[in-house]
Amino acid sequence: MDLLQGTLDMLVLKTLLLEPLHGYGIAKAIRTNSSDTLDIEFGSLYPALKRLELKGWIAAKWEISEHNRRAKYYRLTPAGRKQLQAEHSKWSGFVSAVAQIMGPLPEGGK
Amino acid sequence: MRLRLLKYLLPSHRRSEESDMRAELQSLALMAEPGELGNITRAAEEARAAWGWTWLEQLWRDVQYAFRTLRHNPGFTATAVLSLALGIGANTAIFSLIDALMLRWLPVHNPQELVQLKMQSPRAGAGPAEDGFSYQLVKALADQREIFSGVCGFSGAGFDVGPRGSVSPVQGAWVTGDCYQTFGLTPALGRLIDRTDDRPGAPPVAVISYGYWQRQFAGNPAAIGQAIEVNSIPATIVGVSPRGFNGAGVGSVADMTFAVAALPRLVPAFAAFLTPGNFWLRILARPREGVSVSQAKAHLAAVWPPIAERVISPEWPAAQRKEMADSTFLFAPGGTGYSYLREQFGKPLLVLMSVAGLVLLIACANVASLLLARATARQREISVRLAIGAGRGRIVRQLLTESTLLSAMGAALGIWLSWLSSRFLVNTLSGGQSPVTIDLTPNWHVLGFAYAVALANGVLFGLAPAFQTTLIGRSGMLKQDTRTTHSHSRLLSSLVSAQVALSLLLLVGAGLFVRTLQNLLRVDPGFQREGVLVVDLDGQREGYKDARLTAFYSDLLDRARRVPGVASASISSHTPLSGWTWTEAVAPKGQPVPERDNAVFIAAGPNFFATMRTPLMAGREFDGRDHGSPNVAIVNEALAARYFPGQNPLGQYVTATVTKPPSDLQIVGVVKDSITDSLRSTPGPTVYVSYFQRASATDSLEIRAAASISQIAAAIHKELQPSFPKTPIDVRPLTAQVEQTLVEERLMAKLAGGFGALGLTLACVGLYGLLAYSVVRRTKEIGVRLALGAQRGAVVWMVARRALALVIAGVAVGLPLAWLLSRKVQSMLFGLTATDAGVMGAAVVSLAGAGLVAAYVPARRAARVDPMMALRHE
Repeated sequence: MDLLQGTLDMLVLKTLLLEPLHGYGIAKAIRTNSSDTLDIEFGSLYPALKRLELKGWIAAKWEISEHNRRAKYYRLTPAGRKQLQAEHSKWSGFVSAVAQIMGPLPEGGK
Repeated sequence: MRLRLLKYLLPSHRRSEESDMRAELQSLALMAEPGELGNITRAAEEARAAWGWTWLEQLWRDVQYAFRTLRHNPGFTATAVLSLALGIGANTAIFSLIDALMLRWLPVHNPQELVQLKMQSPRAGAGPAEDGFSYQLVKALADQREIFSGVCGFSGAGFDVGPRGSVSPVQGAWVTGDCYQTFGLTPALGRLIDRTDDRPGAPPVAVISYGYWQRQFAGNPAAIGQAIEVNSIPATIVGVSPRGFNGAGVGSVADMTFAVAALPRLVPAFAAFLTPGNFWLRILARPREGVSVSQAKAHLAAVWPPIAERVISPEWPAAQRKEMADSTFLFAPGGTGYSYLREQFGKPLLVLMSVAGLVLLIACANVASLLLARATARQREISVRLAIGAGRGRIVRQLLTESTLLSAMGAALGIWLSWLSSRFLVNTLSGGQSPVTIDLTPNWHVLGFAYAVALANGVLFGLAPAFQTTLIGRSGMLKQDTRTTHSHSRLLSSLVSAQVALSLLLLVGAGLFVRTLQNLLRVDPGFQREGVLVVDLDGQREGYKDARLTAFYSDLLDRARRVPGVASASISSHTPLSGWTWTEAVAPKGQPVPERDNAVFIAAGPNFFATMRTPLMAGREFDGRDHGSPNVAIVNEALAARYFPGQNPLGQYVTATVTKPPSDLQIVGVVKDSITDSLRSTPGPTVYVSYFQRASATDSLEIRAAASISQIAAAIHKELQPSFPKTPIDVRPLTAQVEQTLVEERLMAKLAGGFGALGLTLACVGLYGLLAYSVVRRTKEIGVRLALGAQRGAVVWMVARRALALVIAGVAVGLPLAWLLSRKVQSMLFGLTATDAGVMGAAVVSLAGAGLVAAYVPARRAARVDPMMALRHE
């Protein structure tokens, strides 16, 4: 499923709100949490992480993973938290607006 | 975010990020299934793009690549860079002069608010507005507080500073009391001159410039309060003006400044400057805050009549008083200060700027044709790059980087060249009556100008070849395309012809200005300047007055005459072309004396005409019997012709305003017309009166040397200096004084000549390049011709014909252009018209000659083509 422009950033921020994760973990988490609907290509995810890091919304640190391997973990910064709130309200506004227009599909509609 | 991004400009930071990223991606690859992460290299590449500096890296790579290509083509690079350097250097040099003279703000508080006041006479044909004002007028304007928050009157000055025996000249200025306050300056040390110093009888106090303080006092604060001797009068230093401020005059440095009120004490001879009849101060004023220029003007017009009543000299004739009272004030922008140099050099510099622009165009055409020729040579490389998937935009960018890099290198070299030549320029300007001090150190204006020119030029002249090259490549042809080569060579030929046309313009300009200077040097001035020494005298400063002064000068004259090697010597109130003239009104006796001055007057001593070698047409010279005896005069032919046509003027009387009431002078001699104020103007009516009947403030000795002039100058100096313990005397040749009036013409002749030679050389290089290129391209054809029995001479002629065809095409365009454009400088010329056939012809001939010279090497190369080698060429 394709993602709307800018949605990926929001998804990443939301995923990191729960716990710090490494890059692969984030991809997996998004897939699991969307019941396998959203399969983010790593090739898009990774540059997005770097962008968010540069913007100061997430921060990274090398840590030891659950499998005793070194991995770079990303966590949400306070600025990122604020950004997530802003994106979230924008998103819900957008969703409800689209929902109003779409409504339930009438019988026989195509 | 920006800040974080900036860190990525550091290579070390980028390197560490890079390795960190690699480690992270590796660790992730280990966790994921093989292939699950997709193309990791691309992910990394895109992540890098997030840093936002990829374009910079690409640019850096382009620059590196461009450097390599340029290094591998040293001939091409050297020619292009040198052409551009000469073009940009010429422009930068002239621009830096224009910048220094006309564009730079004074280093004062809000300079853009300052206005320069001028006065326009209502009289028809009164000429441009006058910018000189009397002391009384400046003070009256300074009191108009509702209009101005400050009014500054100032004038340049020269002081002799130091105790007896170790006097050194210092450039300075006179200022009215409100000057520093008007400029909003705060002293670097001590205090600045204010109104209390500008009152009659106030003790003379000096403000020195920061530079003078550093040079003379090594920046020692003890300089404040220091007693100094200025023109042998004790004075006190009270302050140091802020760093960078050297007075309101541009082109001169005021190292020492006094209030105008101190003038009568320091220079008694010029005490009259403070009277209402002397207009010598320039005004810079700051309108009050909130008062617009038009409001200020209207207000000033309203308050002017009562002021006029007070400040106009009561001694003036009524008509002159009325003209002044009816004058209107003009407000000119004053933030860049005042300079007489602007009037003198404004137009010449603009002309030179256009000329330098032409040189740059020629240089640009050179570079463009070089790039075009190279583009043809690089066709294959470009086609290959396009074929393997490089974007066209990317390649155009690469080619533009190359041409911009060339321009930047040219600009750097050009700035250096202009910096080298700036001393020469200032020297040329300084040849005039007063030395010119201009700081031509490249500033950001000048550097910005040079680089803007270079950039525009790199893009402009790089774009066409770049597009053409990539356009061809796109059609997918990896082979040479004859059609495009044709269009290339057509474009090349027109570029070269354009160069020829432009250099024709330059040559015509050079010819006109060089001939003007020659004509002026050949003018018969009515005296013989060679072999004459001039010594300016200031006996008043040495304490002589009236009869004692006259006796002192008589003694000096006698002593000068006795110096061995002196053929004759005389004394006069004015010397020709000194910049000073004296005018009075004169009429034949019995006719009313006009209100306006209508003749030049010179007080001359015995032997004056013999010394100057001005031919005496009738009557006699002044001699001993004219000392204090009946008033006599010698007139020039112009005066005799005007007032005594067809009569013998000898023995007749003229009435002149040399005294009050006007006195009658008997004509005892007639001399040939002799130039007084300018080599360009024919002398008007001139009256010579006997020197010893009237001493003046600008007296000089004239001494004709019978032997080596420098030896006699030294001998005269040695003889006369002991009589002037307070002032150093200056013994200079009259030729130098004449030369001084030709500064502008010399500047034009030198620079227009130089630019002409430069343009011609550049055009030759362009022509040579094109011919050499076409000989190489046609090697095969030439080989075939030779193999079929063509004579070597015919091959040489083929190349020479091509050169001549290009020159003729250029001349066909350039000649009408020159004919049209040269009229713009008619007013600067002398003794020839702007469309002088000789000048035009010489320009065409030298172009044709230069074209043949440029064709020589390619033609010889063509003649030496070995048919066998040529046929194996491909």
